[in-house]
Amino acid sequence: MELIGIWVAALLTLCIYSFLYRDNPFYRFAEHLFVGLSVGYGIVLTFHQGFIPFAWNPLQEAVTKQEWVGLVRLIPIGIGGLFFARLVPSQGWLIRYPIAILIGVGSGLAIPNVMRADIFEQVHGTLAPFAQIHAGELGPFQIFGVVLMLIGVISTLTYFFFSVEHRGVVGGVSKIGIVFLMIGFGSAFGNTVMGRVSLLIQRVDFLLHDWLHLI
Amino acid sequence: MRRQVPLILCFAFGIVMALTEFSPHPFSQWLNEEIIDWTLVIGPFALVLAVATLVQSHWTRIRRRSEYWQYSFLVFIGMAAMVLIGIPLGQRHEAFVWLFRYAQVPMDATMFSLLAFFIASAAYRAFRARTLEATLLLAAALIVMIGNAPVGDLIWNTIIPFEDNLPSTARQWILDNPNLSARRGIILGISLGVISQSIRIILGIERSYLGGVEGD
Repeated sequence: MELIGIWVAALLTLCIYSFLYRDNPFYRFAEHLFVGLSVGYGIVLTFHQGFIPFAWNPLQEAVTKQEWVGLVRLIPIGIGGLFFARLVPSQGWLIRYPIAILIGVGSGLAIPNVMRADIFEQVHGTLAPFAQIHAGELGPFQIFGVVLMLIGVISTLTYFFFSVEHRGVVGGVSKIGIVFLMIGFGSAFGNTVMGRVSLLIQRVDFLLHDWLHLI
Repeated sequence: MRRQVPLILCFAFGIVMALTEFSPHPFSQWLNEEIIDWTLVIGPFALVLAVATLVQSHWTRIRRRSEYWQYSFLVFIGMAAMVLIGIPLGQRHEAFVWLFRYAQVPMDATMFSLLAFFIASAAYRAFRARTLEATLLLAAALIVMIGNAPVGDLIWNTIIPFEDNLPSTARQWILDNPNLSARRGIILGISLGVISQSIRIILGIERSYLGGVEGD
């Protein structure tokens, strides 16, 4: 089965790379098959890791072990079922109920979690090294990095601060922010390119080593 | 009923989730976990609807004999193969793992690796060091790319016998300092936006998720 698998994987890989020449039936074959397989994989994962443990198992335990509290899960199942109201045009508005609950829960969770992870932690990461400078634990080059970090964070934030016109001091600081942003975008671009190139190397290695045994 | 009840539900669930995060009381913790479990039950129903829409759109293509309609059968075949094996037999069954390992993963990796060619050609056409900002972007990208590849250090160490492994050191410094400070600024800005938008949604000021028209 492994040998067949390697041949299937190799042929599908070549089908997709054929797009580098131009759009063709081989690429379209692989593209559509990929969409189908990915959706199917998503359904299976959602079924086994979402529906079974969080809906089916509590209901089953409620009936078999008479743990009646598990029947509470019938409520979210009923609310989830309202998604199908979309298929009946006159009752389509009922879909707002599950959407409102999901958005409400998401928003409620976002406030404390974003505050903790993305604001407090980031500010702490920016300012905490100053305590190390005060304690004399950092060398001149590291101190330069810490100060640069603070300047970068403040100037980047200033660039995105649209409540005042970017003139004078604010304009100057926001220009420094642009410098940091450009370096940041350049780094992100470089990392993305190298990530894709790594995948390309891995696929070529698969074709030449695992499939053709040339290397 | 059509607009008020969803707004009330959104407010109630949003407030409960925000408050129970801060309370260590066992009931509060139970309520928090129970509601998260509820969303894990409700969420998959949205997937069913999404799949139904995908099936409907491809079925329409086949019925109307649209361009390349024959390929829509492949979407159904792929989906059916995964579902018919994965749901009754389980996600650890060897047939399901085989499909994942030898069909989905290679195609996924190849699709993303295709971008290497398009990114490179787009960069070649678009990257011009005409201004200071563009030059900085170009220089940072080049240093990160050269520093990422082991051959970058090898070439440097061979040609210039000064400061070993400078490309990878420079790359790491860029990532840890100017890049991180820009990212932190962006993350802080996004976070403040997320929090203000969440408050607007919970208080019912932001209602676009309800869709439809006023009075519906």
